[in-house]
This record gives sequence, structure tokens and C-alpha cells, in this order.
Amino acid sequence: MAVYVQKKPTTISEKLADETWRRKFLRNVLIPWIFIAPLLLLHIYVVTVPAVQGIYMSMTDWKGVGQNANFVGLENYRELFFEDETFGKALGNNIIWMAFFLTVPFVLALFSATMLSQIKRGGMIYRSILFIPYVLASVVTITIWKNLLNPQRGIGAAVDNILGLEKVFGIAYLGRTESALMSIAFIDNWHFWGFLMILFLAAMQAIPPVLYDAAKIDGANRWQEFRHVTLPGIRPVVLFMYMMVAIWSFLAFDYIFLSTQGGPGGASEVIATLLYKNAFFRFEAGYGAAMGVVISIFAGFIIMIFVTLRRRGWDI
Amino acid sequence: MKHFKILFAIAVLALTLAPVGAQDVTTVSMWFSEGSTLDCWGPIMLEFNEVDPSVQLEIVPQADTWNVTRTAVAGGGGPDIVRTPGPSFVYEMAQAGLILPMDTFAESMGWGDFFFDWALDLGLVDGQLYSLSDELETLVMYYNVEVFEEHGWTPPDTMEELNALAEEVEAAGLTVFSHGNASWRPTNEHFVGEYWTQVAGPHKVYQALSGEIPWTDESLVGAIELLDAHMQAGWYGGGVDLYFTNDGVYRRTSLAEGSAAMNIEGSWAIRGTVDYFGESGMTWDWVPVPSHDGTDYYTIGMGNTSSINANSPHPEAAAQFLTWYFSPATQGKMLTNCLKGPAPVAIGADVMAELDPRIARLYAELSDASANDRYGYTTWTFWPPKSDVYIYEEVERVWTGEITAMEYSEGLQELFAEELAAGDIPPIPTR
Repeated sequence: MAVYVQKKPTTISEKLADETWRRKFLRNVLIPWIFIAPLLLLHIYVVTVPAVQGIYMSMTDWKGVGQNANFVGLENYRELFFEDETFGKALGNNIIWMAFFLTVPFVLALFSATMLSQIKRGGMIYRSILFIPYVLASVVTITIWKNLLNPQRGIGAAVDNILGLEKVFGIAYLGRTESALMSIAFIDNWHFWGFLMILFLAAMQAIPPVLYDAAKIDGANRWQEFRHVTLPGIRPVVLFMYMMVAIWSFLAFDYIFLSTQGGPGGASEVIATLLYKNAFFRFEAGYGAAMGVVISIFAGFIIMIFVTLRRRGWDI
Repeated sequence: MKHFKILFAIAVLALTLAPVGAQDVTTVSMWFSEGSTLDCWGPIMLEFNEVDPSVQLEIVPQADTWNVTRTAVAGGGGPDIVRTPGPSFVYEMAQAGLILPMDTFAESMGWGDFFFDWALDLGLVDGQLYSLSDELETLVMYYNVEVFEEHGWTPPDTMEELNALAEEVEAAGLTVFSHGNASWRPTNEHFVGEYWTQVAGPHKVYQALSGEIPWTDESLVGAIELLDAHMQAGWYGGGVDLYFTNDGVYRRTSLAEGSAAMNIEGSWAIRGTVDYFGESGMTWDWVPVPSHDGTDYYTIGMGNTSSINANSPHPEAAAQFLTWYFSPATQGKMLTNCLKGPAPVAIGADVMAELDPRIARLYAELSDASANDRYGYTTWTFWPPKSDVYIYEEVERVWTGEITAMEYSEGLQELFAEELAAGDIPPIPTR
């Protein structure tokens, strides 16, 4: 008995002549690309092209006005890393900012979400109250806190008045080099951590209750339940938010610019505020673009770490 | 058929005339920051529309006007009248070909007849006129009259007298100067510029601006050291850290209510001063900022400039508006009605007579100082952009003890030398 084995098309002409191959190609390749093409073209136009332009501009002496831009190669990057002390200081502040936001809001949000997940009645009220700061505009939040932290008419001054103290709590938190950055981080965190808490709470509610029942049967206490059931259950969300917060830390701008503009004496300067000043106040848009590219490289590096971990089997 | 012919003729006539009528009206656009300034200036500026019905002004309120304007102009759009925050910004736009040279308009419309000579020179870039300066500014020392009378103090003329007075003010439990930069960080540069002028003298500043002497000159560094000493003594707002958190409301209320004795601030603050003192019921007055030798020096500055957009389809109409806007009559009206700092034009004595005598005296003294070699330079008007940012940002590092006055001056000298070599220095009135 003769056995006929259909020969797979190998050349382009054979492939185009083959009906099955054509259908597969249409279904698996062409149609998806047709569907995605409008979005892809839009992305290329509004993201890819400006990004490439930004990279090019970072290698010019463009002033940000007009079309005159001379190519200077990597000169802006050399100045950034080897000459500009302000950039080094701003980068250091970004790292401090990241360390703060990878710890304080996460601890607060995990603790609060765990507590709130136990509440059976009225939990929505607490969640809403804790989430409200997140929906406030940054300019509103900063205005509120600048008044609250004001050394003459803020909370600290009121506490001093009540306790009969002289400038113990009523100090210029935003006006001191040693406390300005952390004070702004505190304000930003006041607005941010409620959002993190809601995410963690949603993730906790997706954990099957039987796991907690099993843990209880095994004699686990609250801490052991949290450590061995809750944390593994919400780990993908926590790690994803770790990645996002690390990236956002390099984009920190509005709270700092609205409160101190990087002062006093550069104590709260971060890369994004420095970029803005260089591009718009000093007319060094090319140099500012180099800072923007550096921020993107940092973000890319962080993403790369998480992608690597995922490939190694981490549940992210 | 006859009716048809008549109707046809009317229709042809209407079609021919209608577009002509529409084209006859040229609209000149101007972008302006939203807020109380526009509320007062706007109605006066729109009076232009009654002058010549064929040219109409359109004011478009904007938030963050300058950044919006330069983005739009760079993109080939924007308003016909381009307003910038000062001559140093004009330089960049002129170099990029975004605004038009206006020499022909200046000649045909007689701008030289009412602008002071030195004021027109401020708008020159490579020998061509690109902008007209507006809002003549200076810094003076405001004080609370009742506080001074109560303690038997007299306003100081010299830095030495200021030192003695400051000790008495502090002994009385008051703040010497009601100041702070929480609302506007570049406030710092007001004091740097004033101390250079009042302590080292305007001629030294001119020499440094011209590149004849460095910013590390002993007298200029000495001025920064004195400012730092006054800052460390808590004269400004009660202490360095408080200075960084005191906002505009504090600045005005503490002086108007008498918890501070004085305030070195710009002529632009007159309106706020009048309002706050009106509420407190106390009296304000001003004197020149004390100098090292008792001479009354006034630093000169410009609040903003006006140019014509290179993309404007009708620059003649824009120039027509500028001619009307900068005329002494319009500027006088805006000064009396809105307390707007006038453009550097010759305003009539009749207008000045209508003003509060303290305000009239301020502009008369400023005019006299500019005519008699007693004028200095404000940093935001006469310094190039990088040096200007350095001046107000890095001086904070002096005040927080991170660097010395000499290190600050060395940093400025390095940056200024680069900008001087690149030809980025705005036009400086020659002495």
C-alpha cells in the first residue's frame, strides 16, 4: 500500500501555492497584524518617533527654541556623569526617594489591607476614607500640607502652643536641608499608600478562603497565616507594584516642584526637576533630553530585572 | 426677466462686497495669564477695538502663558503678539527666527518719540529691534509707618544705619524684613542683585556684566558675604529655614500688621501692599534700599516684553496695536487704574498727579535715577539664562552653609564667562 505523505512547502512560491499554508498565514499572521496596525501606527507616531527624536536631541546642543541643534555626540552624557555635581546629588535623592517608597507605603498598605480584610461590616467606609487622598490633585494635596507643616500656623505650631513649647514641633520641615526631601516624601506617601492598600486588599480577597481554613486546622496563628497564605497569594501584585514604584521613583516631579522646586539649596532636587529647569529655565533642552534618556535607561534596567526573574520562574 | 436681472445684480454685488467686508477686519491675538491682572488690564486693552474698527484685539486667557506661548510659536502657531518674561528670553527667540525684527515699524510708527532711548536698546538683538520692554520695575524698601513712629525709628540711608536699625528691630521682638521664597523661589535673586548694586555699587556690576572684571571681584564677593550674614542673622523672615517656608501671604500680612518692620521688594508689589495695608488699617511708605555710601541707587528691571510672531499673517496690525498699547496715554491709564508698572515711556505729569503721591514719587525717582547714572541692573533682565538660574538657585547653598560666597562667585564666573563668550548676554544700557 502506497503511503502518501504531503510535502511541507518550503519555498515562498510553494507556500503561496499551498491553500492550507495560506489560510494559516491569514489567520495567524495577517489578520492579527491588520487588527493591531492602527494602534501600532499610532504608537509609532506618538511614542516611537518622539522617543527616537528625544534620543537624538540628547546628543545635540538644542536650546529648546527653534530648529538650531548641533550634533555634539555623547558630550551631554559626559558632562552629566563626570562634571555635573547637581545631577549626582539629584540621582542620590532619587535613590533615597525609591528606598522610601519601596518600604514605607508597602508596609503601611500591607498592614492596613490585612486589617481591613478582617472587617466584615463597614469596611467600605474605611477603604473610602483611606483612598480619598489618592484622588486629590497634587496641587491640592501640596497646598493642604504646606499649610499643615507651616512653622507659624501649622500643626507643629499648634502642638507647641498647647504644650507650651518653643519651636519643638513647629519647625520649618520643608525649609531645612535635612528634612525637606523626607517631608515631601511623607506628603506624597500620604496621597499614595491608599491606592496600594486597595490593590493589596483586592488581591487578598482573591485568595481562596479554604487556604486559611486549612492553615487554621494546621494550627497556624495570625502571623503564620499572613506569612504562608496571604503573602504568597498576593505576591504577583506586590512584586509588580515593586517594579512600578521603582520606575515611578525616577519620575517623581510634581510634589517636589510644587513644594520646594528642589530647594533649599538642592536638598530635594531629583532628576526630573533638574531636567525641567535645564530644559525650560536654562535653555539647555538637549542636556535635559539626556537626563530624560538616563531616566528611561534606569526604568529599562528595573524592568529587565523583573523580566529576568520571571524567566527564572518567579511568579510575577 | 427684469426682476431676475435686478436680483442677479444684487446677488453679485452682495457676493462681491461680503468677503471684502469680512477681510476688512483684522484680528490681532494676544495670550495673557488668567487672573486679577487680566481682569483689570483686559478691559483697558480692549479699548483699542474702538480706535480702528478694522483692527480688533482678541485676548486669549491662558494658564502658564509663557510655556504655552513658546511651545505654540516654536510649532508655527501662537498669538500675533508674543509676550516673554524678559529680554533674555527674546534673544533666544530672535536667534531662532521665531519673532520679527520691528525696526521698520519703530520708524514708521514713531516708537522712538515716546520710548526712552535706553529702553528701545533693550530690545536689540544683533542690532535689530525685536522686542518692546514693558512693566518698568525696581526694588525699594517698604516699611510700616506706625511701627517706625511707635519706636521712634527713621528709615536708614546706608548699610551702616540699616545694621543699627536691625538690632533695634530685633530687640523689639519684630522681624527685620518680612520675607520668604516659598511662593516664588527666584525671589532669592532680588537680594543678590540688590546687594551687588547697593554694596559694591552699580558701576562694579556694570564692569562685571561687561566682562571687564570677574564676579569674584572682592567688592562683589563682599556683597554676597554681607547678604549671607544678614540671612544668618535672621533678618529675612526670621531665619534661613523660615525664609524657605514663608510665602507671599506671610510677606504681605506680617508687614501690614506690624510684626515685621520692613520689606525689600519690587515696585510690582505696590498693589498688594495697598490692599493688605488697606485691610490692616496701618500706613505704608517706602525709601530706596540703603546703600554703602548713602546714594539712592535703583536697580532697573523689565517685567515682560512684547514682540511680533514671525508666523503672524498681519504684522502691521500687530504693530498698530503695540503703538497704541505702549503710548503714554494707554500706559498712564493702566498705571492709574491698575497700578501697572508702566512701560519705559514718557508718561505725562497730569497722569502722575492723579496717583498716590508715594507711587508717583517712586516713578519720578526712578526716572531721575536712570537719567543721572544712579541706576543698577536686575538679574532677570540683564543676566543670561544659565547665569540667572545659577544666581537664585545656588545662593541657597551659601545660605545653608554648603558653599562659601567665594565658591558661589567662582561658579557664577565660570558660567557667565561661557555665556559671555557665546554672545548670550542681553543688551546692557551703557554708562
